[in-house]
Amino acid sequence: MAPVVSRESQEAPDVRVLSERKEIEAKGEEQEQGVVPIQSLISGSECAAPSNPLSQVLKHTEGDRSLQQLHQLPGSSSSIPANEQDLALARQFFEGSSHGLVPGFSMQHPADLARMSEANARSGMGQAWAMEQQQQQMRAFEDSAKAAWATEFSNAPQTNSSAAPLQQGIPSRPEYQQRPSYMQPMYGNSMPVGLGMYGMNSPPMQYGLNPNMNVSDQGKGKAREVDFEAAFAQIAESFGPKEAQTSRIEEVDDTVASLEEALKNATLNGENEELGTDFQKVWDHLQNSELPPPKEDMAKWEAEFSQLMNAQRDELEDYGANMQKAWEGGLGNFEDTFDQGMKFDGEGIPLLGDYTFEPNNKYLDPSSSRSLLGEAKALLENNGSLSEAALMLEAAIQQGELGEGGYETWVLLGETRNMDEREDAGMRALLQGVRKAEENGTPGAGMLSLAISFTNESYDRASHTMLMRWFRARYPDVQIPEETIRAISTNSSWDTHGRITELFLDLARTQHGKDQMDPELQIALGVLFYTNAEYERAQDCFVAALNARPKDYLLWNRLGSSLSNGNKPEEALGAYREALQLRPTYTRAIYNVGVACLNIGADHEAAEHFLSALSLQESTSGDTSDQLWFTLRRAFLSMKRNDLADLAKPEAKSSLDIFRREGFDF
Amino acid sequence: MSDIKVPGFKASELIAGLETAFSKYTDAEKQSQIKKTNGIFELQVTNDAKETVTWTIDMKKTGTVYKGKAPKADVTIILADDTLVDLADGKLNGQKAFMTGKLKTKGNMMLATKLDTVLKGAKAKL
Repeated sequence: MAPVVSRESQEAPDVRVLSERKEIEAKGEEQEQGVVPIQSLISGSECAAPSNPLSQVLKHTEGDRSLQQLHQLPGSSSSIPANEQDLALARQFFEGSSHGLVPGFSMQHPADLARMSEANARSGMGQAWAMEQQQQQMRAFEDSAKAAWATEFSNAPQTNSSAAPLQQGIPSRPEYQQRPSYMQPMYGNSMPVGLGMYGMNSPPMQYGLNPNMNVSDQGKGKAREVDFEAAFAQIAESFGPKEAQTSRIEEVDDTVASLEEALKNATLNGENEELGTDFQKVWDHLQNSELPPPKEDMAKWEAEFSQLMNAQRDELEDYGANMQKAWEGGLGNFEDTFDQGMKFDGEGIPLLGDYTFEPNNKYLDPSSSRSLLGEAKALLENNGSLSEAALMLEAAIQQGELGEGGYETWVLLGETRNMDEREDAGMRALLQGVRKAEENGTPGAGMLSLAISFTNESYDRASHTMLMRWFRARYPDVQIPEETIRAISTNSSWDTHGRITELFLDLARTQHGKDQMDPELQIALGVLFYTNAEYERAQDCFVAALNARPKDYLLWNRLGSSLSNGNKPEEALGAYREALQLRPTYTRAIYNVGVACLNIGADHEAAEHFLSALSLQESTSGDTSDQLWFTLRRAFLSMKRNDLADLAKPEAKSSLDIFRREGFDF
Repeated sequence: MSDIKVPGFKASELIAGLETAFSKYTDAEKQSQIKKTNGIFELQVTNDAKETVTWTIDMKKTGTVYKGKAPKADVTIILADDTLVDLADGKLNGQKAFMTGKLKTKGNMMLATKLDTVLKGAKAKL
C-alpha cells in the first residue's frame, strides 16, 4: 500500500529534475559554485531513467564502489562477492532511510531543493512546500520502518569480514567517530519531526558538501586520488570534533498530540538560522560517513545498529502497550461514551423506557363508564387545556381505552405532550404508539410526529430512521434502493440524511410533475432540511404544506421555528402569532415566542412568555415542564437577575406569584 | 474566571458566555445537558493572526468550559475563530463546516455535530 503511493509521489519530483536541473545549476552558481557536481555525479542519462529512489541510491553506492575499486587491485575477484553482500545490506539500509532524510542521496532531493529555492524566492509557496515535504517524510518514515526491520534480520547472518574489502584508503579514526553521528541523525530523521525541521533548511547543506563531491567527481587520475584523500581526511577531521554537539536525537513522544505539536514547532523553527548550520554539520557527517567503514568498526557499527533497531522495536512495543492501555481506558470505545448518556438501539433510536404516568390523576375513575378518549378529543378540538387533555388520555390508556388499532390514544397523548412542551413524555408515548401501530399491522401513525420529536432533541439518526419507516409505510409502492435501507442501520447520520433527502425529493418532484402535492411529504422534507440547518429550504417546505393546510397551527409553529433558528426571530414571531391565533393554548408556540424574544435580546418579554406558558400548565395539572423553567432561568440570567434565576430552578418550582410580584405581567 | 478570554479572538465572548451559562446551571440542567451531549470537546481555534488557543467544553463529566487542553477529549475540533462564531450564530452547521474543510476533527467525529447544539443557547422547537 504505502510503497505504491510513495513511488508515485516520488516520481513526480524526479521527472521534474530534468527541467529543474538548469535552475539548480543557475541558482547554485549564484550562491556557491558547488551544486553542479552533485548533479553531474549522476549522469544525465540516469536522471532520465525511471526514478525509483532506490535505484538512484544504488547507483550512487555503486559509483562509490567503483571509486574505491580504483584504489584496489584491479580484478581482485574476492572483493566482489563480498561487496555485493555489503551492497545488499546498504541497499536495504538506504532504501528505507535515504530518500526521506538525506538530500542528495536520491534524485528526489535536488528537485525538492530546487523547489525550495523557488519557494524562497516566492515566499508564499514556502508553506505549501513544507506541507508536501512533511507528507513525503511521513511516507519515508513508513518505508524506513520497514527497511529497518528487514535490515535487522539480515544483519544476523552477516559476518564482519565481509566488510573488509571496503576499507582501503580511508582514514580510520575520524571515520570511526563519525559513525555514531551517522546512525543517530538517521534514526532521528526517520521520525517525521526531525525531518520537518531539517527540511526547511536544506539549501545551505546542499552546498556544504560540495567540496568533497567536487573532488570525487573528478578523481580519476592518480594525482587526483591523492588530492581527494588528503582533502577528505582534512574535512573528515575538521568535522570530527563537532560531532558531540550535532549528534543528538530528537526526543519523540509517542502520543499523537505531542508529535503533531512537535511537527508544528519543527516547521516553525525551520526558519531559524541556527538550525540551518546545525543541519549542515549533520549533513556533512552523513556525507563523510557514507564511505564504507573499517573492519573492526563494522562490528561496532552493526552492534550499534541492531541496538538502535532494538530500541526502536522496544518503542514499537511500548506503542502497542500504550494503544492497549488507551483502548482499555475507553478510547474508541463508543459504548462507554454512552454509558452515562442515552442508550440507542441499532438504528439510533434512543431507549427511553416506559411512559411514566402522572400520579394522582383525577380522571382515573374505574367506576366511570364515559369515554375519556372521546372527551379528550373534544377538549382538544375546543381549544382546551393541553395538560388536561393529556391527563384524560393517560387515564384512558390506564383504563385500557387504546382507541383505533391500539395505538390511537398513545399517539394522541404523545402529540399532546409535545405540544405542551414536554418532549420527553411525548417521545415515550409516541414510541409506544408507533410500536403498537406496527404490531397492529398498520404502521405509519405517529411516525412523523416522533421523527419531529427526535429532531428537536437532536437524535438525528433516530429521526432519519423514523422518517424512513414513515415513508415506507406511506408510500409502499415507491421503490427504495436496497442500499438506502441498509444504510439506515449502518451508516452515519450524514450519509443517511443525504440518501433520505434524495429519496423524498425524488418523490416530491414526481408528485409535482403530476400536479399533486402531499403536505405530509413536504413536512417530512422540511424536517430533513431543518435537521441539516438548511432553514430556508425548510421554510419553503412548510410554506408549501401550509398552502394545503392553512389552518394547521402545528405547521405555523414549524415555519416559525425554521425562521427563528435561521436567524430571523422577528419574522418568526409573525408565524408564531398565526399559530397562537389558531390555538391560544399551544404551549410550544408560546415557548418559541419566548426563545425568539431571548434571541432578540428582549429578555423581560421572554421571561413573561415563559411564565405565561408555565401558568397555563400549572392551572390545570399543577405539574410544569422542566424545559420551560430552564429557559426561564436563562432569561433571568441574561437580565442579570440571579436572585430570580435561583427561584426559577425546576426543582424549586416556586410559586409563579413571586414573579408576578416582581413586575412580570403574564 | 475572566482569564478564559483571549484577546484577539472573537470567540472569546462566546466561550465566556458559555462559561457563565454553565456555571449558573443547576445540577438538574447540567445533568440534562450532559445526558444529551455526553462528550468532551477540545476546540483548537486559530484567528486571523494565526494565533491558536485551545478551549475545552466538558459536557460529559463536569459540565464546564475552560481554557487549555482536555485530559481526555472525545473529539478535537480544529477550526478558525470566524467559523466558531458562525457555528454559534447558526450561520453554519457542523456538517457543512466539515464538508467544506472549515472544520477538522480528530476523534469521534459524529460528536462534533453536537457542537452547535452546545454552542447555541435557546433553540426553537418544531
